[in-house]
Amino acid sequence: MSVDALKLDNVKKNFAGTEIIRGLNLSVAQDERHAVIGPNGAGKSTAYNLITGRYQVSSGKVFLKGEDITNLQPYEVKRKGLSRSFQITNIFPKMSVFENVRCSLLWAMGYKYSFWHMVGNQSKLNNDAEEIIEELNLKDRRNTLAGVLSYAEQRALEIGITIAGGSEVILLDEPTAGMSVSETEYIVGLIRKVTEGKTLLVVEHDMGVVFDLADRISVLVYGEIIATGTPTEVKENQAVQEAYLGAAMEEH
Amino acid sequence: MNDNAMQKSALSPAMPWILAAAILIVLPFIFTGGGSITIMNQIGITIVLAMSYNMLLGQGGMLSFGHAVYMGIGGFVAVHVMNLVENEYMWLPLPLLPLVGGLVGLGFATIIGSFSTRKAGTVFAMISLGIGELIAACCIIITVFFGGEEGISGDRTMAPPTFGIEFITQKEVYFLIAFWVLLSTFCMYLFTQTPVGKMANAVRDNPERAEFVGYSQRWVRYVSFCAAGFFAGVAGALFAINYEILTEQNLNLNMSFQVLLATYIGGVGFFLGPIFGAILFTLLQTVIGLQTDLWALYTGLVFILMVMFLPAGLTGLFAMHMIPIQLGRVGMLIKPYSKIFFPGLAFVIGIIALIELINHVRHHGEEQFMTLFWVEFDTTSFVPWGLFALMTIVGFYISRIFAKEVAEAWGEATFVEGERS
Amino acid sequence: MDLFIINVIDGLIYGLLLFMLSSGLTLIFSMMGVLNLSHAAFYMLGAYLAYQISVITGFWVGLIVAPILVTILGAAVERYGLRRVHQYGHVPELIFTFGLFFVIEELVQYIWGRSMVNYDSPESLNFIAFSLAGGTIPAYKVFMLLVSVGIFVALYYVLARTRVGMIIQAALSYPKTVESLGHNVPLVFMGVFGVGTGLAGLAGVIAGPSLTTFPGMAFLLGSIVFVCVVVGGLGSLSGAFIASLLIGWLQTFAASYNIGAADILIAMGYEFPKDVYYHPWRDLWTLTLPQIGPILPYILLILVLVFKPNGLFGKRET
Repeated sequence: MSVDALKLDNVKKNFAGTEIIRGLNLSVAQDERHAVIGPNGAGKSTAYNLITGRYQVSSGKVFLKGEDITNLQPYEVKRKGLSRSFQITNIFPKMSVFENVRCSLLWAMGYKYSFWHMVGNQSKLNNDAEEIIEELNLKDRRNTLAGVLSYAEQRALEIGITIAGGSEVILLDEPTAGMSVSETEYIVGLIRKVTEGKTLLVVEHDMGVVFDLADRISVLVYGEIIATGTPTEVKENQAVQEAYLGAAMEEH
Repeated sequence: MNDNAMQKSALSPAMPWILAAAILIVLPFIFTGGGSITIMNQIGITIVLAMSYNMLLGQGGMLSFGHAVYMGIGGFVAVHVMNLVENEYMWLPLPLLPLVGGLVGLGFATIIGSFSTRKAGTVFAMISLGIGELIAACCIIITVFFGGEEGISGDRTMAPPTFGIEFITQKEVYFLIAFWVLLSTFCMYLFTQTPVGKMANAVRDNPERAEFVGYSQRWVRYVSFCAAGFFAGVAGALFAINYEILTEQNLNLNMSFQVLLATYIGGVGFFLGPIFGAILFTLLQTVIGLQTDLWALYTGLVFILMVMFLPAGLTGLFAMHMIPIQLGRVGMLIKPYSKIFFPGLAFVIGIIALIELINHVRHHGEEQFMTLFWVEFDTTSFVPWGLFALMTIVGFYISRIFAKEVAEAWGEATFVEGERS
Repeated sequence: MDLFIINVIDGLIYGLLLFMLSSGLTLIFSMMGVLNLSHAAFYMLGAYLAYQISVITGFWVGLIVAPILVTILGAAVERYGLRRVHQYGHVPELIFTFGLFFVIEELVQYIWGRSMVNYDSPESLNFIAFSLAGGTIPAYKVFMLLVSVGIFVALYYVLARTRVGMIIQAALSYPKTVESLGHNVPLVFMGVFGVGTGLAGLAGVIAGPSLTTFPGMAFLLGSIVFVCVVVGGLGSLSGAFIASLLIGWLQTFAASYNIGAADILIAMGYEFPKDVYYHPWRDLWTLTLPQIGPILPYILLILVLVFKPNGLFGKRET
């Protein structure tokens, strides 16, 4: 068995003394599509922020393809080959769709802080950006400012920025949140297409999407993984049923 | 149209630059007066400074209250170098002096930027303010370098002649400045087209996401900051060449405010904005400055009104009108615009006249007559007061009524069916 | 020793004056997220308005009326200017207040001229309160001290004991939450901006006679006040208080102890150059503590921002 694409080893996080993540263990295999589900406030977004360096972990380790990436800066994590999207759309609003995608490609294509290349002349860079825009179905919005796109288009661009640059491990945070049925179909199709041959970790509330997309599912409740398995296994898991029903009762 | 414009520019990307060079060469033969060449030199220096400032504010999202410092330091060193050259301690042709100024600006920015660019926003602004005040205060203390209150001066004509030119006349200096304006503008344009230039925009828009695509926001800001320091230094050396003197006034907070003003009036969101801003600002400063001692009040008021009502600046105003022009509906605007023009003008004239009248009575009360808008009148008579007050009030009310029409016409002229916003 | 005590008192008065400005600035920043760069201009406006009123009715009416006028002006600036700019984001807000500073400065010169005005302390306070061997403390300075302390106590009372104070306190830490609790945020903003600038105005009214009322007075104090709030930590009232006193004493002591760099250099074994005015290190040899006094706050500011970007007592990210 090859080394896990992403592995969390007993990761904990305290906020002002309160333990939000209470020993998270998670393994995502190479090329797997792995979904994380769980009730609101279970710590799914926090877990993402810990993996990608947005928050510092209190204890525990995070490994990317066997390499320790615990508490690296977000840009360092990205350079190691892990990209993420955001639950709340997080794009470059005053730049065109094309510029958004092209900026996301720059580091991976080795330009770094170059002030001696002209981006306009870099044909591979521009072609790759065009290809991604085509995949996103945003060709006719190529020169539109990202800030004035429709919500679904912004969500698509969000995914586009995440997959541009060819990271092998992709983390998506509620990619279909707040979408209509047809928009959801579009985004799920898009995710399928662009994460082909990559490792995907996705947090999602829409169970239809989760069961449709994921090879394996982990259930996160109160900062702990209570179950991991194939969609069928998870569906039949007693603890999961209780956790979900319990949380649902508390909410009402 | 965007594609169209792109194709056009792809055919001849050098065209705008050749055109700009042609204009710069022709200008001193059209405006031949010594006064106009002096003003054009001043404009050229301000253009370089404002463009370098826009690298921070417009392209990098960094609000600096101390940008004049980088120009000032570059300028002071340039004067010192000029003096060294004069005393034959070193050899340097004058046209290369801006490079020295630029390197000094770059060096200073490298030091300051190493800690000031760690954060954007208020912290960056406050550090820039602190550095600005610190250096301005040092001017009085470190007299060896800054020359105290009277500053330091040099003589540009003592440098070895370049192709026989000794830069004695203003016109010769004009061509030196014009060359550097064009070169700097070109380099700054190229900078916006580099990976780090693009990422500067990305960091300005959304620093967090920029980190998640692999860039450290701090480093991106640092690179922009150093580049801006370089061009500010170039502007400083051009200043030193043109005026042959630098004082504390060239790097204090007031000067930094003027840089901000010029850049903002032109429009920070556009590459060409600072150029228009620098031209307009310098013209206002020199032309209106001769007419009234209240010019600083007027520019301040115009600036505040622009921040409130036209945050995209003058270039933004032009850009706004591209939409109705593209839609072929610009005709719809002509009528309401011409309707509001005269009452608006009456209001502006009225209020300026009242301000000037009061100023005259308060500070030059002993003189009964004053000249305003090329007309001489008696300030003790009721007629001018009543007339200007009437113009102000009536002009204001009629403008307000027509302003609604303008707004409606604007809405119609820019309305696009099915456009999502 | 007596000089020391006098300096302590002078520094305290100056520090409390700074706090009157920096407290308003901190309140405004905490509530609205705007660093009001025109704050010191309102301080100057207070002094000039009080002068104008005192010419007609005497000092005491000006003491009451001028700060109220400044409060109204400040509220109007928020209502008709800042609120509009707010929609464009923080950077235009900073630019707006920066521009406002220069406009108010120009307006003051337009109305009252470019030279200083003759704004004096009232006759009834024109005596020496007490004297110490080396110097004297005029009654007006005691009055300044009392007013400053009074304001400090009043501010503390309002913030700690009243409902309005509780809202403001809450907004210091959780601005978003307070907003969502349904408080009339625009009104609170206008009120806080008005009161904050009003405090600055009051500081101007009482400082005018003692520090002279002239068009450069805003510039002289303005940057120092920013140093106070930033060093203390943006959004921290107690930080602003401590930083104000610290800087008050720092500047007062630096101004009155004439220690020269030459003394130190000679003590270190260097020889005083014969022709010091042509010496390449002449600036170092002739450097004195009063000379560097004015730049000490900025050095402090930069050091704090570099090593502790949130300020000495600040918790909020800026």
